[in-house]
Amino acid sequence: MSIMQYNGSAVVAMTGKNCVAIAADKRLGQRALTVDMGFDKVFPMTNRLYVGLAGLATDVKTLHDRFRMHVNLYKHREERTIAPKTFAHMVSHMLYERRFGPYFVEPVIAGLDDNQQPFICNMDLIGCPNFPNDFVVCGTADENLFGMCESLWEPDLGPEELFETISQALLNAVDRDAMSGWGAIVHILTPDGVITRELKGRMD
Amino acid sequence: MEFGLQLNERPMEAPREAHGHNHWNPYVDTGGTSLAIAGEDFVLVASDTRQSDGYNINTRYDSKAFELSNKTVLALSICSADGKRLYEILEQRAQLYFHKHDKPIGTEALAQLLSNTLYSRRMFPYYVFPILAGVKADGKGVAYSYDALGNMKDVTHIAYGSAAALVQPFLDSQVGFANQRNADPNRQLTRDQAMRIAIDAFTGSTERDIYTGDWLEIFVVDATGVHKEVRELKHD
Amino acid sequence: MAKICDSIGMVYSGMGPDFRVLVNSARKAAQKYIQTYMEDPPVRILVKELAGIMQEFTQSGGVRPFGVSLLLAGVDERGPNLYQVDPSGSYFPWKATAIGKNMINSKTFLEKRFNGDMELEDAVHTAILTLKEGIEGQMTEESIDIGIINTISAAESGEAKPIFKRLTKTEIKDYLSNIV
Repeated sequence: MSIMQYNGSAVVAMTGKNCVAIAADKRLGQRALTVDMGFDKVFPMTNRLYVGLAGLATDVKTLHDRFRMHVNLYKHREERTIAPKTFAHMVSHMLYERRFGPYFVEPVIAGLDDNQQPFICNMDLIGCPNFPNDFVVCGTADENLFGMCESLWEPDLGPEELFETISQALLNAVDRDAMSGWGAIVHILTPDGVITRELKGRMD
Repeated sequence: MEFGLQLNERPMEAPREAHGHNHWNPYVDTGGTSLAIAGEDFVLVASDTRQSDGYNINTRYDSKAFELSNKTVLALSICSADGKRLYEILEQRAQLYFHKHDKPIGTEALAQLLSNTLYSRRMFPYYVFPILAGVKADGKGVAYSYDALGNMKDVTHIAYGSAAALVQPFLDSQVGFANQRNADPNRQLTRDQAMRIAIDAFTGSTERDIYTGDWLEIFVVDATGVHKEVRELKHD
Repeated sequence: MAKICDSIGMVYSGMGPDFRVLVNSARKAAQKYIQTYMEDPPVRILVKELAGIMQEFTQSGGVRPFGVSLLLAGVDERGPNLYQVDPSGSYFPWKATAIGKNMINSKTFLEKRFNGDMELEDAVHTAILTLKEGIEGQMTEESIDIGIINTISAAESGEAKPIFKRLTKTEIKDYLSNIV
């Protein structure tokens, strides 16, 4: 088993019409043993930008701290909040700095840019970025999530439709993955603010 | 995601003495995906037709779902050769049953026969994950899923093969109504709904799974017999 | 006059060799920023970087302060920016300014001539007139340099991007011929 599968995770982000959603499961395990059912994998960076981290839990925590540090430094230095695209390139740069001793984490970035347009991005563990315009997935349930998203997602969903779509995609995906699940958390980013909802899922 | 290639892998090397860990491997995965959806009075089976070996496509049209009778269809994923052999054996056994009992073999009997056939090869199994789908004696649709050793379970929906991980949660959601609190659990799908779900599942899988694509064979089995339809999938 | 990155240019008054050292540092700082964020640095960030270096040279042992004043011009998210950096490491923004031998007169001239709604053509024109005030003898395309920063839509993406450009001799000549 790869180190990327050691703790188990499922993270997904989707674009909508002037909104964007990011969601993750809440399980933390050590291989097959579940240790925590409330482990956060999605973190706010600004009030228009969230980052989801799937992979090795210790690196998830370390990277979250480092991202927060760099976003705060940027804010002080430049007297402005970091844009999603800029943040994505910063993350990519930080991961590639560790090209030959990487953090075992695949990040997913979701945000709204200055024009309230949705932005999503995902990377591999050494920071190779993708900027698709539909959805991004990662974690141990990535194949399941691909299958769900590919068939459920459609363009220009409103915030509530997007919430239903991403929730169904995530719940049904983690139910077929032993390494992730135990409830989920969903954030919908809209121009009016962020809607955060916790989902109850199968606890097995 | 795991990396398929490893640094110590040495392709295109002359065959060496077969001792230690360097054994020849009899099991080949030729890719492809099959699914079945059982309704009240019908059952639907769908398989793609791409047959591949690693990054090579051997053929774009290789059926892996077969009519065993006018009320039963058998879909065999993973290894094309083993699938075909198993189908031939089962067809012969069905013929023998007909001669012995003077009536065609029913779906339930075939299901048990398939389980026994698989288990008879417990120590050198066929590398297949079969789905047997048909209508029962009472006219109800049914699908049986198996592992390679003969474990059998009747199911309302199942996906096997290279894109199983992509399709199965989708079927759980759309056929099993999983995670839908307001859905009536006894709600039955219509034929058109099942057909649409199957097509959606395969267009999605074709997009993301390199081993699935080219053509889609859909069989709908009901009291009137087996109805086959072929649709095009993406060829890339 | 030197280009620092696509959106920023720099001129100086003082010692040429010292300027080249600072151009090197500025270009490196700009590239480091681009490598990290995949976008050009805001002018103020680059100014702070340079001012920091220049301040350090007023305090460190074994070195002398830089013998130059700098003007950095660039376009970023906030619009057009013009900054002056002095050898002490202090820096300030301007709408229009001059450095060097004739700066007092030039600044007085600009105070009268400058207004915020100027188009690029007017700005170039005013700049030439300002220089002319302090120049002895003929002003030719050989004796002055002009740099502009235009917003041009990039060929691939269509995104509007500011581009720093030094005017060619022919272009300067055209401007000069319009002045008489």
